[in-house]
Amino acid sequence: MSDVIKLGHPVPNFELNAYFPDKKDFGKINLDQLKRDKKWTILFFYPADFTFV
Amino acid sequence: MGAEIITVSTDTIYVHLAWHRDEKSLVNVKYPMGSDRTGELSRLYGVLDEASGNALRGTFIINPEGVLLNSEVNYYNLGRNIDELMRKFKANMYMAKKANEACPSSWKEEGDKTLVSPGADMVGRVHEALQKS
Repeated sequence: MSDVIKLGHPVPNFELNAYFPDKKDFGKINLDQLKRDKKWTILFFYPADFTFV
Repeated sequence: MGAEIITVSTDTIYVHLAWHRDEKSLVNVKYPMGSDRTGELSRLYGVLDEASGNALRGTFIINPEGVLLNSEVNYYNLGRNIDELMRKFKANMYMAKKANEACPSSWKEEGDKTLVSPGADMVGRVHEALQKS
C-alpha cells in the first residue's frame, strides 16, 4: 500500500468492517467493489461514536 | 446519486451499532459505518490523532476511478457544513461530465453559472465572465 495520498491521484484500495444500518447487520465494505459499481465514495471520518459528527 | 458515503471512526462495529440504535438523531442515517480499529486508514489519510487514537473530522471525495478529488480536515471542535460538502460533491460530479468547465465559489447546483474553458482571455476578466449569461 502506498503511504501517501494526493489530490488528483488514485488512492489505494481499502477494506473496512462496517455496520450497515439499513440492513441492521455487519459486513465489509471496500473501495474496489465501489469502483466496480461505478460509484463515487465519500469518506467521512469523525473522532468517536457517541459524540457529535 | 451514485455515491456511497462511508462514515469512519476507530470504534468497533459493535459500538457503531449501539450508537446508531441509541442516538435518536441517527434514525435517518443509513450510511455504512466503517470501523478503522487499527487506525491504518485514518493514518493514511492524515487524520489520525496518534495521541488519542481518534480520527479527526476529515472528508474525502473519491471518484469512480478511485482518484481523490477533494479533502477537508477539521480539528476536533469544529463541525462540518453538510451543505458545503454536498456543493463540492455535486460540483465534482458535474465537472466530471463537463471537463472544460470550472465551478466558481458561487456555484451551487447544475444550471448555475460556470466558467467555460478558463484560459488567457479570462485573466483579469473573471468578473465579466461571471456576468455573461
